[in-house]
Amino acid sequence: MLTGKLLELAALRYTPAGIPALNFRIVHHSQQVEAGSPRLVECEMPALALGQTALLLAGAKPGDALRLTGFLAAKSLKSRTPVLHVNEIEFLEGIDHGI
Amino acid sequence: MSILRVAIDIPLPRLFDYSSDDALPEDVGRCVRVPFGSGEKIGVITALTLNSDQAADKIKPVREILRSLPTLPADWLALTKFCSHYYQYPLGAVMAMALPPHLRRGKTPRRRAPSSAATTPTRAQTPQPKLLPEQAGAVDTVAAKFGQYAAFLLHGITGSGKTEVYLRLIEKLLAQGRQALMLVPEIALTPQLEARVAGRFPDARVVSAHSGVADAVRARGFLDALEGHADILLGTRLAVFTPLPRLGLIVVDEEHDASFKQQEGLRYSARDVAVWRAHQLGIPILLGSATPSLETFYHARQDGGRYHLLELTQRAVAEAPPAVRCVDTRREKLQDGMSAVLLAAIEARLERAEQSLIFLNRRGYAPVLCCPACAWVSRCRRCAANLVVHLADQRLRCHHCGFETAIPKHCPECGNLDIHPFGRGTQRLEESLSARFPTARILRVDRDSASTPAKWQAILETIHGGRADILIGTQMLAKGHDFPILTLVGVVGADAALFAADFRAPERLFSQLMQVGGRSGRALLPGEVLIQTEYPAHPLYQALVTHDYARFATTQLAERRAAGFPPFTFQALLRAEATRLEDAVDFLKLAAKHARTIATEQISLYDPVPMRIQRIMTMERAQLLVESTNRPALQNFLAAWSDRLYTIKMARSLRWHLDVDPLEF
Repeated sequence: MLTGKLLELAALRYTPAGIPALNFRIVHHSQQVEAGSPRLVECEMPALALGQTALLLAGAKPGDALRLTGFLAAKSLKSRTPVLHVNEIEFLEGIDHGI
Repeated sequence: MSILRVAIDIPLPRLFDYSSDDALPEDVGRCVRVPFGSGEKIGVITALTLNSDQAADKIKPVREILRSLPTLPADWLALTKFCSHYYQYPLGAVMAMALPPHLRRGKTPRRRAPSSAATTPTRAQTPQPKLLPEQAGAVDTVAAKFGQYAAFLLHGITGSGKTEVYLRLIEKLLAQGRQALMLVPEIALTPQLEARVAGRFPDARVVSAHSGVADAVRARGFLDALEGHADILLGTRLAVFTPLPRLGLIVVDEEHDASFKQQEGLRYSARDVAVWRAHQLGIPILLGSATPSLETFYHARQDGGRYHLLELTQRAVAEAPPAVRCVDTRREKLQDGMSAVLLAAIEARLERAEQSLIFLNRRGYAPVLCCPACAWVSRCRRCAANLVVHLADQRLRCHHCGFETAIPKHCPECGNLDIHPFGRGTQRLEESLSARFPTARILRVDRDSASTPAKWQAILETIHGGRADILIGTQMLAKGHDFPILTLVGVVGADAALFAADFRAPERLFSQLMQVGGRSGRALLPGEVLIQTEYPAHPLYQALVTHDYARFATTQLAERRAAGFPPFTFQALLRAEATRLEDAVDFLKLAAKHARTIATEQISLYDPVPMRIQRIMTMERAQLLVESTNRPALQNFLAAWSDRLYTIKMARSLRWHLDVDPLEF
């Protein structure tokens, strides 16, 4: 599971069998505890949504806050960079405003 | 009682003797019904003799000599006999192939009242364009040889008016009361040519012969030709076997075209058979092309060569040949396979309401579907080839065996949904261009979009009517068409053919690009050809840029001479296929063993090797090449060898054939 803000969103595309697919990047900010001391964490993650989640995400804009659930898989045989494949997507709009 | 020697369509190289009480010498060439095994077959009487090699008690009487069917003339019998010998194929099978299906089955096609109404719309007689001096010279030179054998190569650049030369010659010939035979490479081209010929000669009887003609019509056309009622016979390769008693001239248009060579059964080259036939009948033959085959060009070039060379170097209508330019794609990041220069050129045509043609000789959406996660690729389960992605109808298809299946939802190996089509076919190019030029009318022309003659006709009408702005086409569009407002040809993805294993690949690529380039600027608008390549300095492309076929051909011939390839050697290929590769190779090894016992030192024998596409339709394929610098020596060898091939004991699934003068390896 990963929360973060949507950084960039590619155009919605379709696999040859007609399944919607959407590549995007998410930027994550949080505070964590490491070896007993707190620290700030920031990272970016390439992600991929397929099927219904892709359609759901297609309406999102950069900056939108998201909570993603899914799994990691290598980008391809050649490039072993992990990509977050999204199974569930939750829009976290409004949550930040309450703080 | 006499003995009839009958050719029967069975796969054995022999004739069969039958007895008859009432056979006459003039029955030679007639079809005959004979008992064969437990059944009955239709054969052709090839000779009448008094004695037989077969034991007298084995000779059965014929059932019936089919005297209501026309007699096949002696020159036709000689022609089929020559083909049987030269291509090492049983005479009965040669004849069966050369006859229309009706006659083959011993049926008389129903007669039609003779009428001059052609099946294609005939226009009023078109005014004759004025001949350029070179055209007039060519017409005169050939016409001077009417009535005697002479072979001519009419080498004319695209748009130089070769067809007009043919028509003028046919006109002169018809005036002498003789028949003309015109061979064209493709059915797709015949309706246009038919209309043009019929328009020019409204009083002549024009008969078409190609596989698109219905059987009954073809049989009638065959009889019309045989009985001398047809004046002009127009057809694809099989038309070369039509008997024509008053034949006075043979024209082979686009003589370099590979479709003149049949790739199954009797593997004949209609061009070569036509040359033999012209020689047999003592008439001139005219081979026309913008890019002659190297074999033909070689014969026309040698001093005192076998063919006379006639050259047309000027375009008949357009001012200048199209400007050909290479676009270097090494440094550029292409947009969907197209360079900025090409896209700008298309845009300029759109603004001027002219047509562009993007040539990509690969149909489908993409040549293969891959899984980037596990490296699965869409292989055909029956062939050593990939299944091609056809996105429009959601299918994966094998272009070799016809196998097809739905596009899988996910990778069959690892389950990944995000599988990708790799590479680019015409459908994908169409998609990219539609996205890029949303208002342009884009028309894809390949064997999928023009799957029936009606669809093909509709496409041609759309193009001619100016109702398409950008054409995306395979080789279907490369030949013979005149599209007056087409001014740009873009060539995409030609480089692959530069490095093909076949020694004829450069020759084919050159002629294909020259042909397709010739589609641009045929009328009054100047044409431009842009070739995208990573090898802009390659001699082949440089020869295209300078329109210098002769230089290209001369370089190629020098290379062929050095390497000992045709036309400097003569080749034959023994191919074998079986369900197991070992069976095919074992057969070829045995064949090679036989060959060594009869081969003279003039024959070079190679080793059996698997073919380039090793498996097609679950059959494993291998081949054995035989070569000689002496054609008669090779012919003698092949005759002796093929007799022995029939005696080799072989695996049940094994099939073999000999291909004399093979074009494909």
